[in-house]
Amino acid sequence: MSDDKQTTPTVEETQAPAAAEEVEPSTEVHFEPVVKLAEVETKTLEEDEKVFFKLRAKLFRFDKENSEWKERGTGDVKLLQHKTTHNIRILMRRDKTLKICANHLIAEDMTLSPNIGSERSWVWNVAADFSEGEACHEMLAIRFSNAENALLFKEKFNLARENNAAIKKGDEPLVKLSESEDQKEESQPKPEETPAKEEEPKKNDE
Amino acid sequence: MATATVPEFKLVLVGDGGTGKTTFVKRHRSGEFEKKYIATVGVQVHPITFQTTHGVICFNTWDTAGQEKFGGLRDGYYIQGQCAIIMFDVTSRITYKSVPNWHRDLTRVCENIPIVLCGNKVDVKERKVKAKTITFHRKKNLQYYDISAKSNFNFEKPFLWLARKLVGDANLQFTAAPALQPPSAEIDPALMQQYQQELDQAAAQPLPDDDDDDM
Repeated sequence: MSDDKQTTPTVEETQAPAAAEEVEPSTEVHFEPVVKLAEVETKTLEEDEKVFFKLRAKLFRFDKENSEWKERGTGDVKLLQHKTTHNIRILMRRDKTLKICANHLIAEDMTLSPNIGSERSWVWNVAADFSEGEACHEMLAIRFSNAENALLFKEKFNLARENNAAIKKGDEPLVKLSESEDQKEESQPKPEETPAKEEEPKKNDE
Repeated sequence: MATATVPEFKLVLVGDGGTGKTTFVKRHRSGEFEKKYIATVGVQVHPITFQTTHGVICFNTWDTAGQEKFGGLRDGYYIQGQCAIIMFDVTSRITYKSVPNWHRDLTRVCENIPIVLCGNKVDVKERKVKAKTITFHRKKNLQYYDISAKSNFNFEKPFLWLARKLVGDANLQFTAAPALQPPSAEIDPALMQQYQQELDQAAAQPLPDDDDDDM
């Protein structure tokens, strides 16, 4: 209850890498602004949705040209259900810059398959991903902190797929989130925000 | 709405070869982390946009060749630069020693623009340029950040600081870009089959680097 921060990005205080150090800042100086921009309200376009599932993950896309997986972003992967259509989409934003790295409906033909040698990641095909604003075919892979989380994600992903298929057929949605259920996400495993700090060796300058 | 003109700023990105300028740019553009080193020749301009509390802004980032032999027309790249990032590698002292030269060349053309000094690769344990030896920014009033393009540590900070200076509001923040509702797509089964074959091949390739410090 104390941590109701679902509207803001989760990781504000980033783990400092082992070798990060405190460098004395320079004095704040004034520069004449180049433009004057008023504050504006921007819609996230998630306003009409509820969070069905949320978990920290790392996303990759397959680069066909070089035949290799490339990182696409680290952040919270969210399964969002629309309040009126009840369709569930997958939406993921990168930490800090909040740019979109995955945005598509979970379609009937989407199957999560394992990635070689990893029990904490899945790959799937997206005929039309809208991260960049227009439809783009992508092969995506997602990796979680452990196998348990990967399985949890798969279970929810599959449920979302069946939900969307039922709606398409004209049946009742399988997933129904009540007002309060939106908060459920908070009970999901959280990113570990502390452990990286423990390795602070730091003091061996010189 | 989308037609409203997006404010653009020319950002000049300089520093010795191999300090991670191009990797930093790629990280911001596509999210990827490029491990291979391919020296940049001349200059490459990349638009990097951010959604902010003050609307969308775009840094036209001039990613310049760090290596002297690939340098080309330095001054030409700097002309009308409105902000800059000077990058060095904290695992290589020589790249920090070059910072005053980059700064001198830059400010000869661009007077009094906001500049961020970035010590990159702080994820590497064998750090060579220690915090207390990093003092140049204080003499010249540059902002300084330890960053890691690999672990994403502070990777948004240089742009955020520059954006605040250029817009003149210290409270500016990056915000979530609108996530359009994705329409459902009907896909030709033959095409889907081809995609599936491609995916089978992709699934046989391991994902890069699984240390996941940032997870």
